[in-house]
Amino acid sequence: MRTLRSSAADSLPDLGGHRVTFTGAGKRYGAVRALAGVDLEVEAGRFLVLLGPSGSGKTTLVRALAGIERLDEGEIHVGSRLVSGPGKHVPPERRDLAMVFQDYALWPHLTALGNVGYALRRRKLAVDQAKTRSLEALERVGLEGLATRYPHELSGGQQQRVALARAIVAKPGLLLFDEPLSNLDTDLRERLRVEIATLTRQCGATAVYITHDQAEAFALADVIGVLDQGRLVQLADPETLYHKPATPFVARFTGLSGELAGTVVGRDTDEFFIVEVGPWRLRTRSAHALKAGDQVRVLIRPAATAFAAADAESSASVGVVEGTVIDVAYRGRGYDHVIACGESTLTSVFSPRPWGRGVQAKLSLDAEGCIAFPLNAQGEISYDEEVTTVMAGQSAATSNRGVTE
Amino acid sequence: MAVSTIIEPAAVRTHAAAGWARKAPFALFWLLVAAILLLPILLFLMVAFSPRLFDQGPQWFSLSGFQGAFQGPMLQGILDTLLIGAVSALASAAVGFAVAWVVQRTRVPGRRLWSGSMFALLLVPSYLIALGWERLLEPDGVLDLLHVPDSFARSLLFGPVGVIGVLTVKGIPFAYLAILAGLRGLGEEFEAAVRVHGGGKVDVARTVIALLAPAIWSSLAIVFAESISDFGVASTLANDAHFPVATFELYNAVDNFPVQFPVAAAVGWLLLAMAGIALLAQNAALRGRSYRVLGGRTRPARRRELSRPATSGVFVGMFVLLLLSLGVPTFGALSASLITGLGTLEGGAAFSLSNYQRALTSPELYQPLLYSALLATITATVVVLLGLVVARMLTSRRGRTSARMLDLLLLTAVALPGIVFAAGYIFTYNLPLTNDLGIHLYETTTLLVLGYIATALPPASRVLFGSVGQVQESLREAARVHGSNAPASWLRVMMPLLARPLLSAWSLTFGATLLELPVSQLLYPPNDPTVSVGIEKALSNYDYGGGTAMEVLAVLAALAVIGLVWGIFQLVAPAGWRRLGRTS
Repeated sequence: MRTLRSSAADSLPDLGGHRVTFTGAGKRYGAVRALAGVDLEVEAGRFLVLLGPSGSGKTTLVRALAGIERLDEGEIHVGSRLVSGPGKHVPPERRDLAMVFQDYALWPHLTALGNVGYALRRRKLAVDQAKTRSLEALERVGLEGLATRYPHELSGGQQQRVALARAIVAKPGLLLFDEPLSNLDTDLRERLRVEIATLTRQCGATAVYITHDQAEAFALADVIGVLDQGRLVQLADPETLYHKPATPFVARFTGLSGELAGTVVGRDTDEFFIVEVGPWRLRTRSAHALKAGDQVRVLIRPAATAFAAADAESSASVGVVEGTVIDVAYRGRGYDHVIACGESTLTSVFSPRPWGRGVQAKLSLDAEGCIAFPLNAQGEISYDEEVTTVMAGQSAATSNRGVTE
Repeated sequence: MAVSTIIEPAAVRTHAAAGWARKAPFALFWLLVAAILLLPILLFLMVAFSPRLFDQGPQWFSLSGFQGAFQGPMLQGILDTLLIGAVSALASAAVGFAVAWVVQRTRVPGRRLWSGSMFALLLVPSYLIALGWERLLEPDGVLDLLHVPDSFARSLLFGPVGVIGVLTVKGIPFAYLAILAGLRGLGEEFEAAVRVHGGGKVDVARTVIALLAPAIWSSLAIVFAESISDFGVASTLANDAHFPVATFELYNAVDNFPVQFPVAAAVGWLLLAMAGIALLAQNAALRGRSYRVLGGRTRPARRRELSRPATSGVFVGMFVLLLLSLGVPTFGALSASLITGLGTLEGGAAFSLSNYQRALTSPELYQPLLYSALLATITATVVVLLGLVVARMLTSRRGRTSARMLDLLLLTAVALPGIVFAAGYIFTYNLPLTNDLGIHLYETTTLLVLGYIATALPPASRVLFGSVGQVQESLREAARVHGSNAPASWLRVMMPLLARPLLSAWSLTFGATLLELPVSQLLYPPNDPTVSVGIEKALSNYDYGGGTAMEVLAVLAALAVIGLVWGIFQLVAPAGWRRLGRTS
């Protein structure tokens, strides 16, 4: 078991939130295993985003942390306190946390002020003091004039702001967010995302946020945990996760332009290899001990693709491939293209000017965004039971080794 | 960091104990359900096949109960029941469809009144409607005293036509509600499609009726089941008309000497089978076809402005319906209660308030009302609390198997006639085995209340089921994570959200229990008659004035208590509670 911390995480100041630790967290719903022994540690005051597709177990993990679900096995510590374990289940109201729900969960019989003030009951403040604190919280989310409105008299964005004010008003040590932006339109999502990021960091609580939107995860997180089928696949800071995904699943879930199959020709520098893909040669990154002749799948990030000059020699140059434009879509700041390269297709190839359908084009692929995995790693990942624990703050290269192929 | 989760044996024991502590309330709940719902019915129905098992005859297995049920007046009663069930179902569905159409699709004036009268009709027990008509049309009744010739109407009322008529009137609101729900979901595009493709008004009507088939079949099945299981009309009008029906024959078999439990149980089986056949017919008629007409893009239908003559005709028709279903029985009961000496052969009948004076001063007349009011309050309160637990179990994400079992049990109980319930109670709690176990509930108020709870719980749970299911689980979870413990989260979040449905369920149960007849008739403690039994007793002693005065007072008392409860809610409940469910 290796425990490492990323320099990014270490540089963050501890603002007084709770450290959260999951140890072997397991949960079943009948025959379905929602959590398959998750080990995870979040430093106090950090913003952890749990990323994963539907059914990956992220909601179960957060609900177990909130105390709404009981774990079947394993333990959860909030700070130094065991809140969930064999024979032990601290109820949600005694965990010093607050939560923003996907459907807002505002109580329709209470006004905005009533909803926010509810969370102060446990602080046992005087009525005046509680009202002042609630109004302050509403002011912080820009709803000072709407305190007497009932939830149905507010727009979706305003309702979510009330939910946010309710979460921060009692200054809990732990803030949980269950896909809070998924019901909002794009513009409002972006604005509220900024507000969530700002307010959460201001209040100093440890935050655990779940989403299936990788852009949202990258924008918000100090640390991202990727979940798949109830297991934590990788835990790293956003940059590491993007450039050094631990598995093809993580790479695919965090955004790909496409995949190309090839054969390793040899090692280039430390973690870079030369891979032959059809008539082309690519420089790719890999955390695996590849050797010449290994069959690999090269996963390409959209940002690594660019149109190359027409006179670039694709067969001679490393990192240049050729293909036919099969679709073009206007995106405002420019055009996204779909290029057929041999038997594969690369999407989201950006250019400020449009390339016509059917045109032959050359593409340059940046080695930083090309990640090679041994071909046998594309299917099921085998998890070594002894090394499934991944710690927030581990350096990327080592944390990648948390999962074995 | 190596992960090792070693669980100590002591911890395992604590864990197991905590698990049992969590499960204990559910076990207790199921025990209660078994005691009040499952066992009485099951044991009673079993006696039809095995009299020896319960000391009711010499044979371990016998069909003699069924033989008894298929001969003499019992057979006649079963055939009559089939007839009245079928005819009243058809008649109620037709009238209910018409009323629903008028209320939902036309601009005929008085729609709120028509709609409100359907709910009033739903709440009035069938025996009160029957008794109102009887007081008017019986020999030396109100019309005779007013010298209005009524012999033809009397001959119709005291016969199959009268019984079917009253049961049809009682069935109309069920059919109305079922068809109204269907009509609400039926957008106007289906009608428009018929018209733009060359169809006339008749074709439109045919298409609409075909699309509403599920609602129509549902109303037929409900009214049929309600009519065959009715005891109110059976014990009053049908009995007075010497028109035997199954429920009253079952009552006779249990209440008269010699008691014939196997025969009564066989009749119980036949009543259940009839209800089952109605449901099967409904399923068979709808199988293999899709009636999914309601979608996100459904355009609501518009109300139609009828021509002036049509509007007048519909208005008059609705007025006559209201008059016959509610107006006449109310007039019958009110006028009879204001006449002294009605029904006696002494003559000298006159209008006065002396019946009310007697009803309010004579313990024989007012004690049953107070007694019933107390029992109705207890029953309604217990049923609402239990109903909430049931609705919670049915909507919970956990325990799906037990929820399905409970759902099935409650649905069966809804279809079960009240008289079968009551007979099951008498039988089970009078068994030697029950006495040996130290359970001495026979002829006690406790058993009567348990009987009330058992009959009221299934419909009350269904009423609450919809509302509890609508409350998002996250609201209670939000209360937990923001500082409330489990009871507080129920009190502060769920109670406000469910206050109106809970009060509705309480009001319905209170009203229905206060005036309840079949269970009261069989289970009332000998010295404590309920109000319905008191009314029946007064009427059977030819104290028509006193009986009808009790009737009027009981209805007024029910309305007053329900009004008071809602008034208190309006005055005391915080503004947020009152806003919920209100339309703008």
